[in-house]
Amino acid sequence: MRFGLRAKVALVALVLAPIPWLGYRYVKDMEAVLREGQEQALVATARAVATTLHDRPELLDLRPGVAANGEMERILRSLGRADLRIWIVDRQGRLLAITGDLRKKVPDEPPPADALEVLARSLRPVTQLLLERPTEDFDDALPESQISGAGEVSAALQGMAGRRWRNSTDSRAVILSAAHPIWSGDDVLGAVVVEETTNAIRSLSDRTLEKVVAVTLVVFAISALVLLAFASRLSLRLRRLRDEAEQAIDSQGRVKKLIAGSSSGDELGDLSRSFSTALERLAQYNAYLEKLGGRLSHELRTPVTVVRSSLENLKMTALPEEARVYTERAAEGLARLDAILTRMSEATRLETAVREAERERFDAGEVLRGCVAGYASVFPRIRFALSLPDHPVMLRGAPDLYAQMLDKLAANAADFSVADEAVRVRLDEKGALTVSNSGPLLPAEMAGRLFESMVSLRPDHLDGKEPHLGNKEPHLGLGLYMVRLIAQFHGGEARAANREDGSGVVMRVDCPVSS
Amino acid sequence: MAKTVAIVEDDPAIRANYTDLLKKHGYQVSAFADRGSALAAFRSRLPDLALLDIGLAGEPDGGFALCRELRALSAALPIIFLTARDSDFDVISGLRMGADDYLTKDAGIPHLLARISALFRRADLLREPPLEEEILERGELRLDMKRFVATWKAKPVDLTLTEFWLVHCVARFPGHVKNREQLMKEAHIVVDDSTITSHVKRIRRKFQAVDPAFDAIDTVYGLGYRWNT
Repeated sequence: MRFGLRAKVALVALVLAPIPWLGYRYVKDMEAVLREGQEQALVATARAVATTLHDRPELLDLRPGVAANGEMERILRSLGRADLRIWIVDRQGRLLAITGDLRKKVPDEPPPADALEVLARSLRPVTQLLLERPTEDFDDALPESQISGAGEVSAALQGMAGRRWRNSTDSRAVILSAAHPIWSGDDVLGAVVVEETTNAIRSLSDRTLEKVVAVTLVVFAISALVLLAFASRLSLRLRRLRDEAEQAIDSQGRVKKLIAGSSSGDELGDLSRSFSTALERLAQYNAYLEKLGGRLSHELRTPVTVVRSSLENLKMTALPEEARVYTERAAEGLARLDAILTRMSEATRLETAVREAERERFDAGEVLRGCVAGYASVFPRIRFALSLPDHPVMLRGAPDLYAQMLDKLAANAADFSVADEAVRVRLDEKGALTVSNSGPLLPAEMAGRLFESMVSLRPDHLDGKEPHLGNKEPHLGLGLYMVRLIAQFHGGEARAANREDGSGVVMRVDCPVSS
Repeated sequence: MAKTVAIVEDDPAIRANYTDLLKKHGYQVSAFADRGSALAAFRSRLPDLALLDIGLAGEPDGGFALCRELRALSAALPIIFLTARDSDFDVISGLRMGADDYLTKDAGIPHLLARISALFRRADLLREPPLEEEILERGELRLDMKRFVATWKAKPVDLTLTEFWLVHCVARFPGHVKNREQLMKEAHIVVDDSTITSHVKRIRRKFQAVDPAFDAIDTVYGLGYRWNT
């Protein structure tokens, strides 16, 4: 599976995932501390009430089931807080007095203090799915079992302070209750029970968690945007570089245009600059290779002239018969060397000719007819079959260059043709010229490179299957390169392919018809 | 008295070889390695014919300059460029300097000798009134085979020796296509297709300079050239 650069960078963003988890853990710890504090506070309140009642035992002398009178009410009120419920039981488990309400009186939240809170509240529909919000709508009834049988109450009646967490009867709230015995000497007169819900703490921790969620979302969003922008920029630059690199070299391996080296100072800029340098060197090297032939032949002309004029001098002196054989061989070798030099400079001269040639409208069919007629004497062992459309095919270019191109194609086809089958030269109305011969196929890896300078497929050792390769003409792989040059001059393109039935090779030159 | 041929060539081996060759063919030869010494010698005594290389020691285009100076000394002196350079640009530049012909070094001594003797014959004939004339006439074309002078519609066309021979080869049998081998043989040159093409282009241009409607030389693609009457 392939991951794009952007997907990878997005994966990196997962590093941020522990942030909400850490926040959650922190809030839970805080909540535990707050609960602990709440327990302590409730126990302290219970103790304070018990101590006060210990000093005023007469207040306890009440008939059970009757609401506390004014004094008792006042004491409990003064020691209690809002949202506390305080009640007193006697040793028989009878409720002596009760005051206060577990439900919160002022449930309204304070207005949001900052943008984060605004965001946190606007996210509440989402966070509510995760967090159970405390409600004030719970059953705050005091069940009989709690009064008489609950653990902390009976513990207090035994003389030990106790505390307990319990759910409200409808389980919609958690209630913390602390009980403390009321002493009278060594006797326990009764027990004070102070109750409070955990709603205050829970709503505080919920609000904090909401904020954590909001902060996390904001951080996620910002970092995702930053990373996305960064990754997009990177991949955009990489893609541009890739496109440039792909376009820089055409299918024939030539450097068409250089990459404009980026000026940025990072590694991508480095890469683009080194691409640019590498392509420039490749272009220089290609140019050097294409010029090499011409330059070499020019440089070799002078020493060849020395050899030739020396041989000519030798010929004019009286030589023994033995020496004559050798001068003849030397002259033969010199002739071959000359042919090679001519071939080498031919391509360079053609490049100049192509640069300077004037374009005119001409009938390609007429040129082909003349050329193919002439091949009868040039290639006496090969037959050529010409097929032309009925009407003229007008191209724009130079007819003599076009003829030269056909010469190269014909020579190539004639050299590789093995069977007695004629070399087929065909021109269609759209200006496509094909020269097709039976014979050995092109290796797949060479198909694109065949039209480069100095690329030749000719075997080093000729075997019997290729009878026509035996001629004396030297081959430097420049013929098809010249075909390409001329095809390009005519606005066309040269291609080589194997015949579909695998019996030979087709060279194809498409030149646009001039209207 | 033997004719004097001057050779200006900076490569000592080639210079010595050509000197020997020309001496063996009965010419008197004076050889120079650079422009200065050659010019000094020419000022005191002109040779009968000069063979110039273009690139001389230290001067890539020294031969062109020497040709111009030599032409200033004598308008009639036959001058042949003998050089390794074969680009169209060099050929045109050389001929514009007033040379009579331009030969690449791979042409070989027989072709060089053919040119030297032809130019000497012409020089001799120009000096004395013609005893006999050998004229080839094809329509408006008139070729003086002794003096190598071509005229079209009675106006002289300034052809080099090579060009003259090419025109003669094509025009001798009007309507016949002359291929590259035939042209090379008659014009005493060894060149490739594209050089023949540029020779023919230059010839057409010279005729068109005299008569813009000139179209007597036909290209038969793949075969050669034909004189069109």
